Amino acid sequence: MSNPTKSQILVVEDETHLAEGLKLNLTLKGYDVMIAEDGISALEKWKEWQPDLIVLDIMLPGIDGLSVLRNIRLEDERIPILILSARGDPDDRVKGFSYGVDDYLAKPFNLNEFLLRIERLLTRGAWSQRGADSKGNSISSLPRIYQFGDNRIDFKTLKADGPSGEISLTEQEARLLRLFIANRGRPLSRRKLLEIGWGYARGTTTRTVDNFIVRLRKYFESNPKKPVYFKSLRSVGYVFNHDPE
Amino acid sequence: MSQSKWFLHPILIFISSIAAVALSLTLYIYWYVEVRTGLKSVLERANLDSDQVLTSHTWMVILVLSILVGIILMGIFIIFVYNQKTLQLYRLQRNFINNFTHELKTPVTSLKLYLETFRTYELPREDQLKYIGYMVQDADRLTHNINRILDLAKIESKTYEGKFVREDLVQELERFYEKYRRLFDGCEIHIHNPSGRSFLYRISPALFEILLMNLFTNAIKYNESEVPCLDITFKTKGRGLYIRFEDNGIGLPQSEFRKIFKKFYQIGRSEDMSAKGTGLGLHLVESIARIHKGKMTAESKGSGKGSVFSLILPLKKLRPEGKEESDE
Repeated sequence: MSNPTKSQILVVEDETHLAEGLKLNLTLKGYDVMIAEDGISALEKWKEWQPDLIVLDIMLPGIDGLSVLRNIRLEDERIPILILSARGDPDDRVKGFSYGVDDYLAKPFNLNEFLLRIERLLTRGAWSQRGADSKGNSISSLPRIYQFGDNRIDFKTLKADGPSGEISLTEQEARLLRLFIANRGRPLSRRKLLEIGWGYARGTTTRTVDNFIVRLRKYFESNPKKPVYFKSLRSVGYVFNHDPE
Repeated sequence: MSQSKWFLHPILIFISSIAAVALSLTLYIYWYVEVRTGLKSVLERANLDSDQVLTSHTWMVILVLSILVGIILMGIFIIFVYNQKTLQLYRLQRNFINNFTHELKTPVTSLKLYLETFRTYELPREDQLKYIGYMVQDADRLTHNINRILDLAKIESKTYEGKFVREDLVQELERFYEKYRRLFDGCEIHIHNPSGRSFLYRISPALFEILLMNLFTNAIKYNESEVPCLDITFKTKGRGLYIRFEDNGIGLPQSEFRKIFKKFYQIGRSEDMSAKGTGLGLHLVESIARIHKGKMTAESKGSGKGSVFSLILPLKKLRPEGKEESDE
């Protein structure tokens, strides 16, 4: 295992020259660096290695960077993520920030600026880490308990109350619920649900999504045949309809 | 994608204008017949000779009207098709700008990164050499991208006045491979000419090189096999010479066989940028083939099973050896 005092940085970049150059500079600054070359391995390394910071490219083979970001944000709101992208238009930046990135740098960038931003993000990350009493508590910005209609979900104990009584949720079901709640009222395509909710790339059958929706409807809809919350959108995907106000 | 109002959708406008024209045609004819019969009865009542007043022929009028309406319909249709093509090109171009920006920015970013690193740190000579090697490759990549754009501009402006000379295509191909061998290190490239004869053809060597370079790099770039292979075979079939470029790359689905030669076209999704490259390479190849009076085809047994690109040149343009002619 690596030295615990060293900050660990995961660099997600598919261009080898760039990835190596970033690794070189970050290593020279005394960080522990790992490279992921595509979205899927980025998610794997994030789970296994638990880095302190992620440098993320957007144009990636397999799952793109923004989906990686959303996937991570479902579980971990606190880890600092910096996007390093060739696309620097305000629209692209806004998109990144709306999905919960902490900082955004357009390529080509200034090396010093990049290193200083990294340092700052790590410092802030350390503060918020100390603020949270334990790692398990810092999972997500979503409330621990979420209520809609007669349903009540407790994300800590993974228990839920619905029309059919108390239910024990699996990890994956809870993940999908979080994804839906974070995107209330916004349509989500089956492909996006797979990419963000499961971390699968293209080619995986989208039936998986449909099966999960059937289950969620059975849990939380009083009439699963006529869903109120988990609605299908023809030729698009699904939308979670619930206005807390 | 901008959400324009539904009633401004081109297909809807197209259909409604066709309906309007068709309806007006029927109304013209209907009214014409109506008025004519009305007039006839008036004439009959006035006891005039109807043949004297109504000399025009009903069928003639209907025929002329139909032809005119037909022309209008054809005009609308052509405008519609052109409009659709422009829209499509606009979409592709925007896609192209996104991708090309990426293609240009990546090597620049890498170059800048290493230069700034060198300014800050004193690296061991060995490392320096390695990173300088990267920088040279990045500069090459940048040059390659810029050249492709310039090539396209040259070919498109039709001012291309390259010299056309008669060359043996087999020799030309071998010469090309010798010249750029270092670019294709670690790849197996074979040239087969089973007939053993030479194929003399009028080509522009500069353009032909661009064509070969694009086909070679594609075969290797879109390849996930351990050892990328490219087999080039000369074959005559019917009235054409087929030069087949067969690789063991990622292949392509049948639906893309024709589309890939379109300008700016790329396989992949543009919305999340999984497509890479400029979308120009094969378009250039096809344009060059056309300049040489030939054409390109693509085929593949499916994803992951390699693909075959064929350059087809008309045989009558090939001159048998020793038979010198001074035409063209």
